[in-house]
Amino acid sequence: MNNELVVIGRHIRHEFGDFVVLDDVSFSLYQGQTMALLGHNGAGKSTLIKILLGLILPSSGEIDILGKTQLAKDARADLRIGYLPENVSFYDKLTGEEILTYFAELKGIGPRKVNQLIEEFGLGYAKDRRLNTYSKGMAQRLGFAQAILSEPELLLLDEPTVGLDPAASQFLYAKIDELKRQGTAVIVCTHELSLIENNLDSALILAKGRSLAAGDMAALRQQSELKVKITSPMLEQAIQGSARLQQISQGNALYVDSMDKPELLEYLTSQCGVFDLSIFEPGLAEIYHHYNNQASGICSQLK
Amino acid sequence: MFMNNSQFRRSPVMVIAKKEVRDSLRNRWVLFISLIFLVLSLSVTFAGSAIKGELSLPEISALMSSLSTISVFIIPLVAMLISHDAFVGEDEAGTLLLLLSYPLTRRQILLGKLLGHSVIMIFTTCFAFGFTCMLLLLLADTYDGFSTLVHFMQFIFSSIMLAVIFILLGYVVSLKATEKAKAVASILLLWFLFVLIYDLLLLTLLVADLSFINQGVFKVLIVLNPTDIYRAMNLIGIEGGSGSLSVFSDSGWGFSGLCGAMLTWISILVAACYVIFNKRPL
Repeated sequence: MNNELVVIGRHIRHEFGDFVVLDDVSFSLYQGQTMALLGHNGAGKSTLIKILLGLILPSSGEIDILGKTQLAKDARADLRIGYLPENVSFYDKLTGEEILTYFAELKGIGPRKVNQLIEEFGLGYAKDRRLNTYSKGMAQRLGFAQAILSEPELLLLDEPTVGLDPAASQFLYAKIDELKRQGTAVIVCTHELSLIENNLDSALILAKGRSLAAGDMAALRQQSELKVKITSPMLEQAIQGSARLQQISQGNALYVDSMDKPELLEYLTSQCGVFDLSIFEPGLAEIYHHYNNQASGICSQLK
Repeated sequence: MFMNNSQFRRSPVMVIAKKEVRDSLRNRWVLFISLIFLVLSLSVTFAGSAIKGELSLPEISALMSSLSTISVFIIPLVAMLISHDAFVGEDEAGTLLLLLSYPLTRRQILLGKLLGHSVIMIFTTCFAFGFTCMLLLLLADTYDGFSTLVHFMQFIFSSIMLAVIFILLGYVVSLKATEKAKAVASILLLWFLFVLIYDLLLLTLLVADLSFINQGVFKVLIVLNPTDIYRAMNLIGIEGGSGSLSVFSDSGWGFSGLCGAMLTWISILVAACYVIFNKRPL
């Protein structure tokens, strides 16, 4: 597991008339991995999802999904791709079971799977209730169940946790985790960076159609050159002997390059006798804002 | 781990049609339309003569004329009301994008919806007008049973054709519209043009008695508007079709010719919907 490529996009470009929506976007995703697709509104995320679904063809570039180059629309029947659109509102006069059965029948999936998913997503007690009596969390669980009806190898989730309470979000991410363990590759398009941060293997950050950064968290941190923050209540005293460290310190904190971190920790602990340390790696939000600020031509002050 | 789905594969057209029918049953459209048609047909049939100060059953030809004159206003409106949000509504809800991500073609989605909405109109029309016909045959002995049945069957058949045409016009609006509110405004405009304005212009031309407007021109003008084809189908050969109605009762097309005109409208509109659907931006 984790070694088979599920999606590989090479130099994808898409234009609507004169307007370039995506420009030279490349990325890859392996089996059992989650990729966060990040970017402001209008960054090109939805277009990329539509390309992945085979709904639109890119103007240039190539995309391989599950070993098939480019999506011929009619060949999609063979591909197991699940999709949950952003803010989808299903047919509110139909019951939860009827809605799931409708989508299952369209995919040629039998009632046994429908019943299994209804139970798995804790909707058994409400399956005969109309959708207009469902809470946002229940409706989203139903939508998620719809997305995994065909036991997809690639799952595309567009803002799956927007408007959900923490427990409902946690439930969905636990499900994503379960699917990952079974080998499903997941692409999550989201603005909720703190939620996705602990659940991703890689991220693709888009701005105005261009790929600003792509890779796993370690690579993103390294590419961004954001500093690691090290704090300790003993720090001010400990670094008094080092003019260099005093230069990069701010109060009880030191800001260092990621590559210098091991050496510095070694120095602080063995030579300065510091034993109470906290290390803050740059988070996804910092990395995301850093790239967006850079893209807007504003120098990041985080460095 | 993946099941063999072939045993559960049902025609997507049928699956979508079934969902449309179920949706309309749930939001009470079927009940609402059935009641409207029933009240309309019963009141025209059994109380239509009250306007003349008496309570008597009309001649079958006069009855067909009255029924079609009223139905031509109601059927197009009802048909467009059930179809106007078929696409724009699903687009706003996000389910159209989802459906398109499924292994379905746009043709299947279009035909599924058309089948579902047509079934609703067929059921409601047959129920309301069929019930009236049955009641008439049971209660009134002045009518020739066979002739009454034929007249009503023709009437129901033409009503269904008219409904299908306006369902498709509703789809055209729905596929072109960017939001539901605009679709509602557009169907009202279309209804106004087809049902009221066009006939007003036709009547003006008829009364003006212009030299270049002969029977041949009227023959063409009638098939350019499905509501006029409908009128002509139901007034054809009716004796006593006088005044402005005579242009329909004596249109020169014949019943099969008018059916052909209806089918042509349906074919053109299905093709138009398909083309517009394919071009609709996602």
